Amino acid sequence: MDVTVKIKRYNPDAERPQVEWQEYPISIDENATVLDALIMIREEVDGTLSLRCSCRSSICGSCAMRINGHAGLACKTKASESIDAAGIILVEPAGVMPTVKDLVVNFDLFWQKIEEVEPYLKPEVPEPEAEYIASNESMLHLSGVTACIMCGACVSDCTVLEVDPTFLGPAALAKAYRFTADPRDGDANGVSRDRLAKLGMPSGMWDCTRCNECVQACPKGVAPMDRIMAMRDQAIEAGFNNNNGARHTEAFTESVGHTGRLDELRLPMQSVGMTNISALMGFMPVGWRALTHGKLPPLIHKNVEDVETIRRLFRKLDN
Amino acid sequence: MLEHEVLIVGAGLAGMRAAIAARAGGANAAIISKVHPVRSHSSAAQGGINAALTDRGDDWEDHAYDTIKGSDYLGDQDAIEVMCRSAGQSLIDMEHMGVTFNRDEEGKLGTRAFGGQRRARTFFVGDFTGQALLHVMFEQLIKSGVQRYEEWFVTSLIIEEGQIAGVTALEIRTGKLHAIRAKSVIFCTGGCGRLFEPSTNALIVTGDGMALAYNAGAKVMDMEMVQYHPTTISGSGVLLSEAARGEGAYLRDKNGERFMEKYAPNMMELASRDVVSRSEQTEINAGNGVNGCVLLDCTHLGEKLIMEKLSQIRELGIDLTGKDMIKEPVPIRPGMHYLMGGIKTDIDGQTNLPGVYAAGECANVSVHGGNRLGANSLLDTIVFGERSGAHAAYFARGQSYINVNENEVVAREEHRLQGMLDRPDNGDRWGKIRLAMGDSMNRNVAVFRDKEGIEETIHELQELKTRYGGVPVHNKGKVFNTDLIFALELGFMLDCAEAIAVSALERKESRGAQFRIDYPSRDDENWLKHIVVSQGEVGPELSNLPVTITKWTPEERKY
Amino acid sequence: MKYAFYPGCVSQGGAPELYPAAQMICQRLGIELEEIRAWTCCGAGVMQEKNQLFGDTLNARTLAKAEQLGMTIMTICSTCQGVMGQANKRMQDPGYLSEVNSYLAEESLEYKGTAEIKHLLWILIEDYGLENLAPYITRSLGNLRIAPFYGCYIVRPTEALGIEEHPERQTSLETLIKSIGAVLVDFAGKTRCCGFPILTINEKNSMAMVGKHTSEAKDLGADAMVTPCPLCHLNLDGFQPKASKQIQRPIDLPILHLPQLIGLAMGISPGELGLKKHIISTTPLELKLGAGSR
Repeated sequence: MDVTVKIKRYNPDAERPQVEWQEYPISIDENATVLDALIMIREEVDGTLSLRCSCRSSICGSCAMRINGHAGLACKTKASESIDAAGIILVEPAGVMPTVKDLVVNFDLFWQKIEEVEPYLKPEVPEPEAEYIASNESMLHLSGVTACIMCGACVSDCTVLEVDPTFLGPAALAKAYRFTADPRDGDANGVSRDRLAKLGMPSGMWDCTRCNECVQACPKGVAPMDRIMAMRDQAIEAGFNNNNGARHTEAFTESVGHTGRLDELRLPMQSVGMTNISALMGFMPVGWRALTHGKLPPLIHKNVEDVETIRRLFRKLDN
Repeated sequence: MLEHEVLIVGAGLAGMRAAIAARAGGANAAIISKVHPVRSHSSAAQGGINAALTDRGDDWEDHAYDTIKGSDYLGDQDAIEVMCRSAGQSLIDMEHMGVTFNRDEEGKLGTRAFGGQRRARTFFVGDFTGQALLHVMFEQLIKSGVQRYEEWFVTSLIIEEGQIAGVTALEIRTGKLHAIRAKSVIFCTGGCGRLFEPSTNALIVTGDGMALAYNAGAKVMDMEMVQYHPTTISGSGVLLSEAARGEGAYLRDKNGERFMEKYAPNMMELASRDVVSRSEQTEINAGNGVNGCVLLDCTHLGEKLIMEKLSQIRELGIDLTGKDMIKEPVPIRPGMHYLMGGIKTDIDGQTNLPGVYAAGECANVSVHGGNRLGANSLLDTIVFGERSGAHAAYFARGQSYINVNENEVVAREEHRLQGMLDRPDNGDRWGKIRLAMGDSMNRNVAVFRDKEGIEETIHELQELKTRYGGVPVHNKGKVFNTDLIFALELGFMLDCAEAIAVSALERKESRGAQFRIDYPSRDDENWLKHIVVSQGEVGPELSNLPVTITKWTPEERKY
Repeated sequence: MKYAFYPGCVSQGGAPELYPAAQMICQRLGIELEEIRAWTCCGAGVMQEKNQLFGDTLNARTLAKAEQLGMTIMTICSTCQGVMGQANKRMQDPGYLSEVNSYLAEESLEYKGTAEIKHLLWILIEDYGLENLAPYITRSLGNLRIAPFYGCYIVRPTEALGIEEHPERQTSLETLIKSIGAVLVDFAGKTRCCGFPILTINEKNSMAMVGKHTSEAKDLGADAMVTPCPLCHLNLDGFQPKASKQIQRPIDLPILHLPQLIGLAMGISPGELGLKKHIISTTPLELKLGAGSR
């Protein structure tokens, strides 16, 4: 199979280092992965190409990069499924993290965030002599999160990190969930109050914009965003709901639960807190513009026709 | 000058465990690794970790017996006793650290059956136990505060007056060469799978530490004992865990027969790995295979079990062969997987060079002898990683740093590396030489060997070593120069390959993983001993060491 | 062609220009819409954070009603599409579906798991056919440069959006822009996030996202941006002035709803399509179009 691998290169040792695209027309096996193609290029065509790779079997996490604009593991991406109409596979280094050389990026930011969430078990009760007793169900659930191989694909494509490097990010937050959901971490009931309190601070769990890039990018099915959502729930359960994110979620749910539809006018105000005068004042310009353009949601919010059924369901299912 | 009392080279399971133990022992410890610790090859271990828990009614002596028999009686029984006796506590320690082991209905640690053991004592996390343990160990390493040199490649050992004084290391990200002084060095650099082609091993497994220690005068032992894993994917060589067979999968020939009936009527697919690999290869050679493979059949295990316990290898099967093991058998064949041999150590990881230790796959205590049981490797790394780290810390307390002229050492090494960069561009690329070595080893020093074949490989290796001297390095830069690193690794691999081949030639019998067509039987009278190789003036020098026997008399090995 | 119409809250709330515009073009194209009786909010992913089961139950009612009507659901919002698609996918598990149905039992409703949900964008390409749309495209958009902005929920996660069976959905907006005769302005931010979900949580980041994507498209020469999601529209249009202030540069990029763009190409006046309601003035766009402002 003939393909052209188009790689974004960067050589810091050059006299005037700059980003440039280089095309490598090669012939590879039908079943080859993108990594097979890159290894062949560096072994047989161009020894100056730098990339990280090791296991070839989606477990070491070294070869995360952007293929055709989206992050993934090169060893898990089939070359035949990555070719565009012109027979080209576009390969670039992972996003968000600065490029060191070619496809190698600087992972310092990634590891700094992982370390920030104190990524080791912190039981608050005395250790038993033998193993902790824990259900297989709880361990299987955690294994779905510990499946994370720290490849950085989620961080690469995170839309929040793209504009705000202070955000903890999907990998660190998923790692944090791995502990908040571990029955051995935290108090006797397995509730990790300290962690939940810290993770609810600005740039933490509430800053996720729910865009699903990390879920899409993750090659191991960890679904970081889903873990962040689950952690938000844990935080609310543990009583940490004095923040806009928690208020937003609760107000939204209450609105739909009581009327069947979303009261768009009141939601922003309930999110910031109805007594938060300064924030409410901040809405005035936007509110005024909306009013003068005929876009202000109705003052009187109507219930749906069968609202009683909705309310009954809400009462039954509200947790 | 950078200096540490205990310097651990390699940050896989053994290395990280050693670092934590050294630190706990009060030493100023540091760990150096050519990749980030979580990229280490320990992550590729799939099946599980063995331990005999007495509160389950299991007995560590049973585990020891299974291990000794599995080793085909080449394992040192005192070392095996140490490992099996410590296993229970090591396992609980890992669980306390946070590993998310599978559980039984009572919420206690759950087990699965595994090769060569008469009782299920393999504890596991799905089919990615290695990755699970590695990441937890890394979490503990972060917690311990041990200094980490991540993506630093050790290029040479600094030896002063016959004593280890430290290492020189290339900081891969910048290309800067450093010298680090150390009172003791622990090699935890893993095996050397890449000198065979194909292999289950990751690209980074190139025998660096083994070669460095060997060239500095350390003895390596049982190098001929190379494990071919029965179930590897054709082409890439990627591993499909023994756990599949542990959960009940069958091996079938082209006619759908479970051929293991002929070779191991009792344990069938769960006989020891060397037995299963030889059986498969025999069937394939006799024309009973399919495209050079036999079939791993998991279709009768059911979707639920596979998704719960074998999810990773199912993905690998789909990604790399296009076959979903829930619905159809997956073609597999024996592939090079593990080196039982390695740097000879005592039960505290000490080598014959004072201050130099080794643990994990690069070491040979020996607990695996002629064949390693599945799920004993993870145990080996943790038990002997801990013992080495603790002992090195104790050793370092009584030592002073040796004087090292930093500038001179660094300049000399820089000059050597520059010499490689300055070579003419027309020599054979490193990849070509590695492939030639890998082919040769896989042809003649694999499952079935004979004198002519091994000698042919020894000859080919000599030739490759000569050509190696002219391998060009096309990347002349400083930053992340992998081309230079691969050229250095190839040198290490060639040294290991030579030690393996001469050992295979020397042992004129079949035992464990070594099967000589010209000497097909086991010969305890002449060969119940370890083959030791040292780097001599003009090449490898062979000697022997006795096998330590405590309680278990060698007997015929049948499964 | 008849569809069970699911307008979603915002198309009559914060972006009230969308609902009539959608109805208008469907009516002219001969696409019949039967609005689902007493439909409930899809939850927008926000409600699912707090109570996924409740969200799925409400969406199951909507899907069951469409099943009763025997029609495919049409959405006009990327978020509704994504959220209901994800709910539908979860309910393909028989155990879960029967749990959800146990809550619907008292209304004698049962969701059988067969409902199909399609955004107007996909309907036009897959069901209606662009070649059948062509005769209605009477106004030349030849000199108009349009940048596509999908909205996260209509492109991720791919499993809940039928991307495997319909890979062309991933470039559907671009295909549509070209087919109605406009010039496509491709840019990196087209599948990224508009920031709407974190508007009240981290306004700085939300504005940074609006600023980044609109200015990128503008710098590449876009006359307007089109989006199939009214939530994205709320942020990209409604909060563009605030974003512009934050990133300290003028942007002035008009944002169009999908039916508005199609409507313009069909010769409908900007006024009828509700362009006057937009916060960012569409006058430069209209002038370029030669459409006049009424």
